[in-house]
Amino acid sequence: MEIFDQRLNRRQTLQVGAGAVLAAYGLSACGSNDTRGEAKFVKPEIDGDLLIFNWAEYMDPLLKKSFSEKYGVEVNEVNFDNLEGMVIKLRQGGGPYDLIFPSGEYVSRLKLEGLLATFDRDSIPNSKGVNPYYDSPWYDEDSNHSMPYTYYTTGICWRNDLVTDMTGSWNDLTNPAGDGRMFILDDFQEAIGEANLLNGFELNTEDPDQIEQSKETLLEQKEFARGFSTNTVQNLATGAALIQQAWNGDVVNTRNQVSNPEDFSYETCKEGIPVGSDTMAIPNNARSPGTALLFINWILDPENAAQNVAWHGYPQPVEGGEQEFQKLVKEEPSIAVSIEELRDKELEFVFETPEGRQLWAETFVEVKAA
Amino acid sequence: MAGGFWTRFLAAPGLWLLCLFALPLTLTLAMSFGYVDEFGRAAYDSPFAPGALDNYADAFDPIYLPSLVRSVTYALGTTALCLAIGYPIAYYIARFGGRRKYLLIGLLVLPFFVNYLVRTYAWVALLSDEGLVNNALIDLGVTSQGIQMINTPWAVIGGLTYGYLVFMILPVFAALERMDPAVIEAGKDLYGNKLQTFLHVTLPQTRQGILAGSVLVFLPSVGDFVSATLLGGPNTFMVGNLIQDQFFAANNWPFGAALTVIMMIFLTIWMIGYLRAAAREARPAL
Repeated sequence: MEIFDQRLNRRQTLQVGAGAVLAAYGLSACGSNDTRGEAKFVKPEIDGDLLIFNWAEYMDPLLKKSFSEKYGVEVNEVNFDNLEGMVIKLRQGGGPYDLIFPSGEYVSRLKLEGLLATFDRDSIPNSKGVNPYYDSPWYDEDSNHSMPYTYYTTGICWRNDLVTDMTGSWNDLTNPAGDGRMFILDDFQEAIGEANLLNGFELNTEDPDQIEQSKETLLEQKEFARGFSTNTVQNLATGAALIQQAWNGDVVNTRNQVSNPEDFSYETCKEGIPVGSDTMAIPNNARSPGTALLFINWILDPENAAQNVAWHGYPQPVEGGEQEFQKLVKEEPSIAVSIEELRDKELEFVFETPEGRQLWAETFVEVKAA
Repeated sequence: MAGGFWTRFLAAPGLWLLCLFALPLTLTLAMSFGYVDEFGRAAYDSPFAPGALDNYADAFDPIYLPSLVRSVTYALGTTALCLAIGYPIAYYIARFGGRRKYLLIGLLVLPFFVNYLVRTYAWVALLSDEGLVNNALIDLGVTSQGIQMINTPWAVIGGLTYGYLVFMILPVFAALERMDPAVIEAGKDLYGNKLQTFLHVTLPQTRQGILAGSVLVFLPSVGDFVSATLLGGPNTFMVGNLIQDQFFAANNWPFGAALTVIMMIFLTIWMIGYLRAAAREARPAL
């Protein structure tokens, strides 16, 4: 090659390098162009193997196997460990994934960004069993981008054999009995949210002064904390946590794993508790969107829903899933959650502006960094 | 044709450096002037655009100062511990290892073939409340309840020390190897006792190795986030955690990039300090 036969002097070498670097800079500047496409319309039909992108330990693996056997396709699953990371991979065209599990708030964002395919919910028979609340949830009014997977509450799980004087308030996070053995969820929405409720603000306030006050609240709570962590089951089961801010499904899981389930109580707090839904949605760039829609139908099947709920511990708002969950929580009714609680939108995480969301996220990092 | 040979010889490593060093660094720099758009996506921007330097201004918010002080403190502690543990090991192997010297060094390096993250997880299993260490202490009757070791600054420093110890041992070992054992004999001939000989002969002779080892341990420790993530508690947040959270939790890549650039400049200053010290040391020997 000719370039190798020329003797590059030092200046030329630097010029080549600088040129390449500048070119990279130019490319990076172009790379941020908006690339919103038309939402793809999906019909339930087998159109290839399935790649699922989900939280770890959030679906009974046997359901993948039975689907695979019935329809003669391969079902593969990869996991993410937080939704922000899921979105980053989705944007970069990773996978491409056929089925994702965003929370309601993320559905509303991904939909706006044009990353989700649409479908007619009447085209999948098991959508009939879904609780009517999801005919028009706030994050997907026409219910044509997502179907509900689970719903949950956030409260406090505590060891009733070692901790006393719980008052049913978010203040219990600073109960001296749990000093140094308390965990706050490592999730900016849950952390800022509980402080907002404790301070009597609206859950979703974006007022900088109020967020500042909630930051102070969190800094006080941090004095009692052993860490910020979403490894709820592990923290509780190993005894590291006496008091843990927790999602109700994780409490079910913990109680299933320990030898002394009666010692683990869950309380929902009087200032209000965040409730939310996780959903199933199909990315616009899915390779097998039709298979994905059939799989959604599979998950909503009453028997499958019951089997799945028994496995992951969260309620599913669909016939079969609801009943199974009631069975799971009959000994600790505080873990239960009703769809009526979801109707009160004020207690779901919703951001009015992107700046508000950013303010929350950065405030939480500041709390951790302090 | 000598020039042709050298150009060809350097083409592959040059390309490597360009693709895997210069380009990512440039992208990081470009990102640090960027902003987050309405969908929460990071967007690049020109360094001359209005507000392009906001990320840098934000980085100097005093709220982040504790993380920096903490990182430097942990890294200094780690360096001191690595020296205190690593020097005797290197000394023993270099002086008394005999023909098994290189086998011993090989054994020391062996665990480092395993990923740092995995090794740190092993420490979680060791130090947790119901971990191996606490179970042993309870079995031996030292304590009845177990001691909280994990989620403390000590656990973080311990994790860092374990993670980077080999970077101290190897340069110190090399320096001891280079040293002529006859100078120790000479020190003793001059009526130096063991301590005096060590302080006035061995230590100065291996100062280069200590310096190199300290830099190799200190620099990655300051920027580490794995140890604090897995072994730390609510008050062990380091600069590395801050940067990682900007990317994966706060969704603010531009700010994370600005922090990264500042961190690199900060570490470069330490590096220059080391290079100057090393050059000063080397001069009398020439």
